[in-house]
Amino acid sequence: MPVLPPRSAWTYGSSVVVVAATTGVGLVAFPYVELADLAMLYLPAVMVAALAGRGPALVASTLAVLAFDVCFVPPRFTLVVDNPRHVVTFAVMFGTALAIATLAERGRRQAALTQQADVRARTEELRATLLSSVSHDLRTPLAVITAAASSAADPAVPATARAELLASVVAEARRLERMLSNLLQLTRVETGIVPVREWVPLDELCGAALARVEAATGDIAATVAVGDVAVPVDPVLFELVLVNLIENAVKHGAPPLELVAHADGARVRLEVGDRGAGLAAADHERVFEKFYRASAAPGAGLGLAVVRAIVTAHGGTTWARPRADGGTWFVVDLPAVPQPAALGPAPVEVAR
Amino acid sequence: MTGGLVLIVDDEPAMRRLLSATLTAHGFAVVEAGDLAEARRALAELPRLVILDLGLPDGDGLELVRTIRAGSALPVIVISARDREADKIDALDAGADDYLTKPFGTGELLARMRVALRHAASAAGEPAPDAVFTVGPYRLDHARHVVTVDGAEVHLTPIEFRLLALLMQHPGKVLTHRHLLRVVWGPAAVEQTHYLRVHMAALRRKIEADPGRAKWLLTEPGVGYRMREEPDSGTP
Repeated sequence: MPVLPPRSAWTYGSSVVVVAATTGVGLVAFPYVELADLAMLYLPAVMVAALAGRGPALVASTLAVLAFDVCFVPPRFTLVVDNPRHVVTFAVMFGTALAIATLAERGRRQAALTQQADVRARTEELRATLLSSVSHDLRTPLAVITAAASSAADPAVPATARAELLASVVAEARRLERMLSNLLQLTRVETGIVPVREWVPLDELCGAALARVEAATGDIAATVAVGDVAVPVDPVLFELVLVNLIENAVKHGAPPLELVAHADGARVRLEVGDRGAGLAAADHERVFEKFYRASAAPGAGLGLAVVRAIVTAHGGTTWARPRADGGTWFVVDLPAVPQPAALGPAPVEVAR
Repeated sequence: MTGGLVLIVDDEPAMRRLLSATLTAHGFAVVEAGDLAEARRALAELPRLVILDLGLPDGDGLELVRTIRAGSALPVIVISARDREADKIDALDAGADDYLTKPFGTGELLARMRVALRHAASAAGEPAPDAVFTVGPYRLDHARHVVTVDGAEVHLTPIEFRLLALLMQHPGKVLTHRHLLRVVWGPAAVEQTHYLRVHMAALRRKIEADPGRAKWLLTEPGVGYRMREEPDSGTP
C-alpha cells in the first residue's frame, strides 16, 4: 500500500486534478466509445483519490459524478439525466470510492500498529541483550578489581605481588571506563543527537586519537598518511571513531597500523589498516553489530558499533574489507561537502 | 615536590579521601570542602592551589573559579566527567588553569599540579618583548621574530608565529580554541574554530616531524591545544 501524506490540501488538490485529467481523456475518447466504458474511466481516478483518505474520496467521486453527468450523459452539458440507469452508475462510483477509502484507512491503521509493536519488540530485545551483556561484561572487570584490591589490602601479600595486583586494578578500571563511555555514546547517538559539525583536519584527529590510545597501551607502531584532508564532523565524536578503530586494530589485529585518507569530489575516505590475521568472510559485516565479538579477546563488542552509529549520524558509511596481503582495512566514507574559505581574517595587530 | 596547602573541592567524600591521601603522601597539606560555601570559607586559609569538581550540590563550581579569578592568580585545576566538554571549556575560559577528565591517574594529577604551580610562580607579568622561549626542539625569539626547530630556521606566517608563541609561553597548559581565537584574531572571531584549525594544521606541518603523530603541539579534542611540557622540566 502506498504511504500517502494525511488529508492535506495537496491530496484534495490532486483529486481535483485526477478527475479533471480523466474528463479530458473522456472528451477526446467520447466519439469512439460507449457511455458505460467512459464511466469505467472514472473508476481508477476515484480509486487513486480514495487511497488518500475518505475526504479526498468523497470530493473525487462527487466531482467525477458531476463531470460525467455534465460532459457525457445525455442531454449533455446539463445536470439533467435522461435514463435512470445512469443514477445506478453514480451510486456505484460513490460506493466504490467509500469502500476503497475505508479499506485504505483500516490498512493504514493496521500498519501503524504493527510498526509500533515492532519497535516495542525491538526495544525489548535490545534491552534484554544490553542487560545480559552489561551484567557479564561489566562484572568481569569488577570481579578482577574487587579480588585484586582486597588481596592487595592483605598485609601478608608481598610488595612485588601487591604492585602487580594494583596494576591489574588500574587496567581493569580503565577497561570498565572505556566500555561505559562507549555504551553512553552509543545510546546518545542512537537516540538521535545531532552532531555538532566543525571542519577538522584529519591529521589532528588521528594524532589526538593515537595519543589517547597510546596513553593506555604504550607506543603503537603506526603511520599516518592523511595529507591535508579536513572533514566536517563533531570533533569529540569523531575522535571516538578513530580511538575505537585504532583500539580495535591493536586488540584484534597486529601492527603496524596504517591510517590513510583520500578525498575526491564525491566523498572523503578514511581507512585504518592492520596486519593481523584478518576476519572470517562472514565477520566483515557482523563486527559492526552490537555485542558481537569476532575473537575471544576481552571487550564488550561495542567499539565498532559505536563507530558505525557515529559515522551514520554524519551521513557516512562504514565497512571492513580484507587486505590483499594480510590484515583488514576498516573504511569510513563521508560525503564530500564544500569547505568554507580556509583563510581567516588578518590577525589583530598588537604592539610588541 | 614539597608542601603548600591544597584545597580539594568535591562533593564525593570517597574522591576527597583519595585525593587527600595521595596529596598528603606527596608532601602537601590539604583542606577539604564538600560544597561551594565550604570552599569559599576555606579560601581564607590561603591555599596555593585548588582542585575543583564542577558539579557541586549548592551551585556551579564555575562560580568559584570566577570568585577566585576576581582577586588572584591562585591556580585552579578542574576535574569533571568526560561527557561535559562545554563545562570544561567554560571553566578554562573563566580562568581555570587546567582540567582533568574523570577517571584520571594520580600521576597525571600531580603532573598537572606541577605545571600549574610553576605557571603561578612565573606569572608575575607578561613576558618581556624580547623574550625567548625554548621548549623541546623549538626556540622562539620574540624580538627577532625567528623560530628554529633543532637549530634550523623555519618560516612561519604572522598568525602561525603568534599561535606558537602563545603555546610556548605556557608549556603544559591547555589553551582553549576561544582563548587562542580571541588573542590572535580578536573578540569577533571566537566562534571561528575552523580558522584556528587550518592555521594550527599548517603550523603542525611546518614544525612537527610527523604531523599526523604530533609530539609537541597536542590537541585536546573539542577543547583546545597544548604545547607538551618537557618531561624532565622538574619543579619551579
